[in-house]
Amino acid sequence: MTQDKSELLKGTLGMLILKVVALGPIHGYAISQRIQQISKDFFQLQQGSLYPALHRLEDRGWLDADWRKTDTGREAKFYSLTRKGRKQLEAEMLNWERLSGAVALILRTAEYSPSHALADSPFSKTAR
Amino acid sequence: MHWLTRLFRKQRAEKQLDAELRFHLEQQIADFVAAGMSPQEARHRARLEFGGIERVKEEVRDTRWETHLDNFARDFRYAFRNLRKDRRFSLIAILALALGIGASTVVFSVVYNVFVHALPYKNFNRSVVFVLHNLTDGGNSKDRRYFSPEEVRAFREQNDVFEDVIGYIHMRPTYDDGKSIRFFSWGAFVTTNTFDYLGVPPLLGRAISKEDGSPGAPPVFVMNYRLWQREFGGNPKIVGRTFILNGKPTTLVGIMPLQFNAFNANFWLPVMANYRSLQMAGRLKPGVSVAAAGANLDSIAHRLHKPNPGGIFPENRFAIVPQTMLDSLIGDFRKTLYALLAAVFLLLLIACSNVANLLLARATTREREIAVRATMGATRGRLIRQFFIESFVLAATTSGTGCVFAYFGLETVVALIPGGTLPDESVIRMNAPVLLLSLGVTMLTTILCGIAPALHVVRGDLQPRLTGSGKGVGGSFRHGKLRGGLIISEIALSIVLLVAAGLLMRSFLILTRVDLGFDPKNVLYFELNLPPTYNTDLAGSLQKKNALTRQLLERMRALPGVTSVAEFADPPPLKYEVSDTIIRGKPHGDRWETRFEMCSDGYFQTLGLPLVRGRFFSEDDVSAARDVMVVNEAFSRQYFPNEDPLGHKVKLDTFDLPYFALAAPRDTYFEIIGIVRDYKTRGYDNPSWQSFPQAFVPYSVAGFNWRTFMARTAVDPNSLLKNMGQEVRAIDPSVRIATSGTLEASLKEFYRGPQFELVVLAAFASIGLVLVVVGIFSVMAYTVSLRTHEIGIRMALGAQQADVLRLVLLNGFRLVAAGIIIGLCASLALTRFLASQISGVSATDPWTFAAVVTLIVSVGLAACMLPARCAMRVDPLVALRYE
Repeated sequence: MTQDKSELLKGTLGMLILKVVALGPIHGYAISQRIQQISKDFFQLQQGSLYPALHRLEDRGWLDADWRKTDTGREAKFYSLTRKGRKQLEAEMLNWERLSGAVALILRTAEYSPSHALADSPFSKTAR
Repeated sequence: MHWLTRLFRKQRAEKQLDAELRFHLEQQIADFVAAGMSPQEARHRARLEFGGIERVKEEVRDTRWETHLDNFARDFRYAFRNLRKDRRFSLIAILALALGIGASTVVFSVVYNVFVHALPYKNFNRSVVFVLHNLTDGGNSKDRRYFSPEEVRAFREQNDVFEDVIGYIHMRPTYDDGKSIRFFSWGAFVTTNTFDYLGVPPLLGRAISKEDGSPGAPPVFVMNYRLWQREFGGNPKIVGRTFILNGKPTTLVGIMPLQFNAFNANFWLPVMANYRSLQMAGRLKPGVSVAAAGANLDSIAHRLHKPNPGGIFPENRFAIVPQTMLDSLIGDFRKTLYALLAAVFLLLLIACSNVANLLLARATTREREIAVRATMGATRGRLIRQFFIESFVLAATTSGTGCVFAYFGLETVVALIPGGTLPDESVIRMNAPVLLLSLGVTMLTTILCGIAPALHVVRGDLQPRLTGSGKGVGGSFRHGKLRGGLIISEIALSIVLLVAAGLLMRSFLILTRVDLGFDPKNVLYFELNLPPTYNTDLAGSLQKKNALTRQLLERMRALPGVTSVAEFADPPPLKYEVSDTIIRGKPHGDRWETRFEMCSDGYFQTLGLPLVRGRFFSEDDVSAARDVMVVNEAFSRQYFPNEDPLGHKVKLDTFDLPYFALAAPRDTYFEIIGIVRDYKTRGYDNPSWQSFPQAFVPYSVAGFNWRTFMARTAVDPNSLLKNMGQEVRAIDPSVRIATSGTLEASLKEFYRGPQFELVVLAAFASIGLVLVVVGIFSVMAYTVSLRTHEIGIRMALGAQQADVLRLVLLNGFRLVAAGIIIGLCASLALTRFLASQISGVSATDPWTFAAVVTLIVSVGLAACMLPARCAMRVDPLVALRYE
């Protein structure tokens, strides 16, 4: 199951990070906490994938980073979204909505007519 | 330039990365504490959740490209350091492969230059030359390469296999340079389409064209590059100058480039209208085979000769034998090259498997290092890349060394190739395609063998390797089999090489150590070039030639340092004339072939042939041109098995051939007066020395132009050549010495062919043997080091040192034995290809095979000995503690 989740995460991690950062400057630890909280602990973010992903996004110019003081007065690296990053996020979200919409449609349709799907199947006779 | 500044601020980036991750960790701890954990427990949980901080860092670093650049440089440094550290391994690997590459590049270069790039002529692979093979005497007489004008015309007009046909004939004109008249270099008359046919543009001026053959065209000629450089210093102004050749002003119109040396001539003239006969070559139409062309020409020739059965070939018993131009130039050297090509291929295989072996062994010993590096945060890609770079560094060093070897090796080989075996056209040098091929092979082997173990190691579970409990089991066992297989094939391959070299060596020793029956030391010979004034009518020219011979022998005998002198036709033992033998009262159906010599009375004494019975020629016999004959023992044995040949009368059939009409005694029977001991000459199809029936008649009976003289000397024979020349000129200034030499030197020259092959193959075989020894040694040493633990336990349980020694030796010997069996089978199958190149010894000579097996067994055991002794000295306590 963790294998499945991490596979699922791999393709969308960049988008999730961008979305979280879009809410305002935030540091790496907070990003991981936020993703974990919002997804109701569904995604357990490994630092081994979070930080390389963050640096990759920064490298591509979608994220900007600067060092600021946190509420507790400690220095931390805060990431914020660039204009390029916002465009990328919008594009990815659009893509994702289309994809998940399509997937949901298929799932729903298939759910409503299971007998239809089976009626012409060569297995239908033996199944009954 | 964001990335550029980052490249130079790497340190800051590192620090920031560290701070960022540390912040994350501390924040996590703080959260855990806030949730009610004790600080210690919180730290522990946080660390566990975070995973390896170094690993995360490494993965972050991998997202930046400059890291890759950096790692690349670091991997290179690391690779160099590693190779330097493991000096024994590197040296062996580099030397082994470099030798293989050097040798193969040398042989590939020779083959490429001879077969692929040999001739600069247009479509030379479709060019054939043809000779007329006389079948009347069993196919043993000399082939006729010259064709009469009628034949040439008929071939040109009636053939339907050639696109174009050319004709040529060698000639050596006199050259009058205004001060003196002398013989010029060798040239050739060629038909005027020849230069179009060969399709090579001239270097300077123009080539001979069709117009030069039209009646009334001014005489012209074209010179080759070598003659131009040698005689005229490469002066370009020489083009257009007029030379007096054979007394006729002839204009030099062009110079051909270096590689153009058609027909081994140094210059070319358009053929005269009144030429006598020509050699021929033709370019096959596409798709026509050489054999088909031969059949076509053959039918034309037979049609041509049918109406005149009294012609040159009575009974139409002849055949036309075509040969590609390349074959006619290279001849038997092709076989030698194929043998060397096969040998070098074996050597390259040995070298490659040796390196593969070393790399595999090394990688397995490094499994633990790899495991440690992987645990410390090295990603899989990093590890593979690092091995790749190490292999690459190794391959690059090897290739460089190999090129150096190849360069010097090629110089040596070119110097070793016997003169005259390669056409003048081929220039042997290193070239890009060959070098690239060899380098490609090395790179591929090294890199494949280098990466394979890395792939294997990183794929598996790291745990057992890290703790060392995986030693000698699982994965490394599989490698062990692979390594054993490589060693077995190395041994098998080297046995094939050694057997081939051994057979050649035996054959060569037999060839050179054979007692020829006479002593070739200190014998000078020279052949005269008689001017046309010696060939007028039969009686006059016979008398003139004999008088010259008599006087010259007289004068030679008087020279200080000369012990005896003789006149004859062909220098023994490499050249001879043959004839069918007709003996009164002894009719025979098959051909009785006798090698005959026309010689003076001093011939036997000069060569040192002892008389068996009867008597030698007397001076009287020779000066009176009596019809007497001396035969050898083989002649007596073969034609007079239970009889005394003395007093019998013998006719040499060759003298009656129509084209000898002017010079030879017709229908003459010679009386046998003496029998001499045999001396050995060569067979036609087999280069070994044998005794053949021989007969000797006085030179004075025939008026041939072949006048060769020899002198046995008490001093260095070469020092007398000048005096001989003076004596010749003193008798007749128009006569010259054409060729000269010593019998010993001509034998030495003859031996250079087999010697070349022997030296090169022996060198390959020794390199192969060294590689095999290294291979066996490294594998055994490695096996012993793997089994140190096991040996320790055995010894702790009471095994004696001798048991351990036996264990290791038996292990090694198993590999050697398997290799020997496979190698012997392969040798038996392969050596028959060598059969045509060895003589006096069979291709499955048991002595050679036995010697090779003994050699391999002894070097194999020697190579096992050192590791075995190491194993014997294993201290059980140390071995056990080591784990």
